[in-house]
Amino acid sequence: MISRRSSFKAAAGIAAAATLGIKPSFAADTVIKVGINLSLTGADAESAARIANGAILAFEEANAAHAVKGYKFEAVKFDDATATAGQYDPAQAATNARKMVSDKAFVAALGPQMSGAGKAMAPILSWGNLATITPSSTNPDLTNPKFAAQYMPAGKAIYFRTVATDAFQGPNMANYMADTLKVKSVFILDDSGAYGVGLADAFQGQAEKRGIKILGRDRLDPKATDYAAILTKIKSLNPDAMYYGGVGQAGVKLVKQSYEIIPKVIKAGGDGVYGADILKGAGFPAVDGWYATNASPHVTEDPKVAKFSEAFHAKFNMFPEDYSATCYVGAQVIIQAAKNLVAAGKPVTRDAVRDAIGGIKLADSLIGPVEFDEYGDVKNKIISVFQVKQNKDKPIDDMDAQFRYVGIAPAVS
Amino acid sequence: MTSMDVFLQQAINGLSLGSMYALLALGFTLVYGIMELINFSHFNVFMVGSMIAMLTLEALGVVGQETVMTGLPLAAVLIVAFAVVMLTCGALGVGIERFLLRPLRNVKGPAAMITTIGISYVLFNVVLITLGSDAKNFPNPLPPIKFEIGGAVLRLREILIWAIAIILMGGLTYFVQFTKLGKAMRATAQDPEAARMMGVKVDRVVMMAFFVSSALAGACGLIFGLYYNLAKVDIGFAAGLRAFTAAVLGGIGNVPGAMLGGVLIGLIESSAGQIVGTAWTDVVIFGLLVLVLVFRPAGLLGRLAPNKS
Repeated sequence: MISRRSSFKAAAGIAAAATLGIKPSFAADTVIKVGINLSLTGADAESAARIANGAILAFEEANAAHAVKGYKFEAVKFDDATATAGQYDPAQAATNARKMVSDKAFVAALGPQMSGAGKAMAPILSWGNLATITPSSTNPDLTNPKFAAQYMPAGKAIYFRTVATDAFQGPNMANYMADTLKVKSVFILDDSGAYGVGLADAFQGQAEKRGIKILGRDRLDPKATDYAAILTKIKSLNPDAMYYGGVGQAGVKLVKQSYEIIPKVIKAGGDGVYGADILKGAGFPAVDGWYATNASPHVTEDPKVAKFSEAFHAKFNMFPEDYSATCYVGAQVIIQAAKNLVAAGKPVTRDAVRDAIGGIKLADSLIGPVEFDEYGDVKNKIISVFQVKQNKDKPIDDMDAQFRYVGIAPAVS
Repeated sequence: MTSMDVFLQQAINGLSLGSMYALLALGFTLVYGIMELINFSHFNVFMVGSMIAMLTLEALGVVGQETVMTGLPLAAVLIVAFAVVMLTCGALGVGIERFLLRPLRNVKGPAAMITTIGISYVLFNVVLITLGSDAKNFPNPLPPIKFEIGGAVLRLREILIWAIAIILMGGLTYFVQFTKLGKAMRATAQDPEAARMMGVKVDRVVMMAFFVSSALAGACGLIFGLYYNLAKVDIGFAAGLRAFTAAVLGGIGNVPGAMLGGVLIGLIESSAGQIVGTAWTDVVIFGLLVLVLVFRPAGLLGRLAPNKS
């Protein structure tokens, strides 16, 4: 957006440049739009803001440095959450996808945050040949060749990820439970969403293989408020651990009530639990001790990422999370794709960008080397494990202070 | 835990849930009994109540679960919180009735009911915009006192919820049965025209019904927060729907019916969670509701007021 004052300055700049006989390159810059579809309101809004800002930072840096000659990026945010759903709404996600596809100026997209939204968007994006890079949706089906007819009906990969999937997140955590936490029996819950069910299924499969006894499996209604009945049942079965596949809407209530009813059971979840919304909503002491995983390398404490974190904090006055970094890298992939096209003398169109993303290679991004396989998955898949441990000196929503990084979950061999 | 412990624990869970549903169900039933109006704004008056309760407790200096109070300070804080919440919610209910529903009083058809749905969404969105959609950590000053009964755990908050629910329901029964205004209410429920002719100020009675039901919803919002340590913008729909079901199950318009229905739904919910799994709880609840209505169309205890149509 150009304010009146900055447009005046720009006009003055053009005038000055004209008198000096320099052709102002930015005046002719073609605007290329990138849609950012996240759950900006509702239960996952906190995290969404942090993720979106990762991309905005990348595009602003690229624009400031005139990274792609003759082009200027414009990030357009879309919200796929609705008031009635209270969280992401697949129907809204589909509507957003149609909006992006129908506007030729959109050459690529970032998002969605949630796999349930991704499942609604992927077929529409596929027919429109609009590539999206998701910083956080981890349901394996979306890039699974088995479901290609459903999620890439037009044939080409359009759903790229800068994160690993639940096909790794769930099983690797099962390994971590068996190897490090010495868990012998577990009760599994999911929140009936695409992400939650997939994650819990993947966890369950590997847990069975590792000889962890599955004492039961149940499904939470994210809109219900009382989980005491199922938690009492879990208490009566006396498992070593409880695994929860799901996001914050049911998660916050589960964390609170499980602290009351099964305080001694080891409790773990996926990246749906790894968020500031869980910390703030459930609060201490309820959330203390929970394990969570994230489908990306843990970088926000990495010294080489300090510059990114500082710039992020200075600009947005909030702390980045790991998915801020994956989103930043996602944006970099799009920028790099455009750059490669310009270098090869090709126009930056939607089809060209999709093809360019498929062949991209970033040797040393914030999250390490980035390269995609033929279905859109990132090749370098790492699952980080965290445990909540209260740090009273830091704000409750400071993810790095409250989630202690405990290592990488062992991959399935 | 032995199976006896599990049974006892689920009974405790179910009774706590049931007390909350019963308090909410009373609101539906009171208004329906007098106006034959299903008041869907009740869902979110309850939610607004929990938000007001949260803000009140925060204003009284309670922070998250870290502030623990006992004895007199605890009693004082709770009494102030209940008073504030019940009065503001009562006033909200009266406002809704006076300015939004009274103009529609003589309009035939579902206009008034649709209006209440609209009001419900307005309340929802006002809270959504002002306070946001995230789950809030409800300030709770209750000390974490527990009693172990075999393997089952009975917490202070459960005892408190039951006590408050019983006091409020007892008060309401007394009010409806033995006070002059209560008598006027029952008279209006039976026949508004005749009541008016006998000198009952019907407008006042209707207003009172809204005040009482909304105050109960507010109290329920506070109890809900104390029980779950949670306030969230979307709690109204889930809890409200169950409470409405409870009112229908007990016999809508029937005060003891609403209490019975609420407790029953609570118990069914917790036993269904134990026996068939949470994923099937709604199926069980609504399945039983359909069954009951097939054999007793007026609900378990039936309607007390004669049918006006």
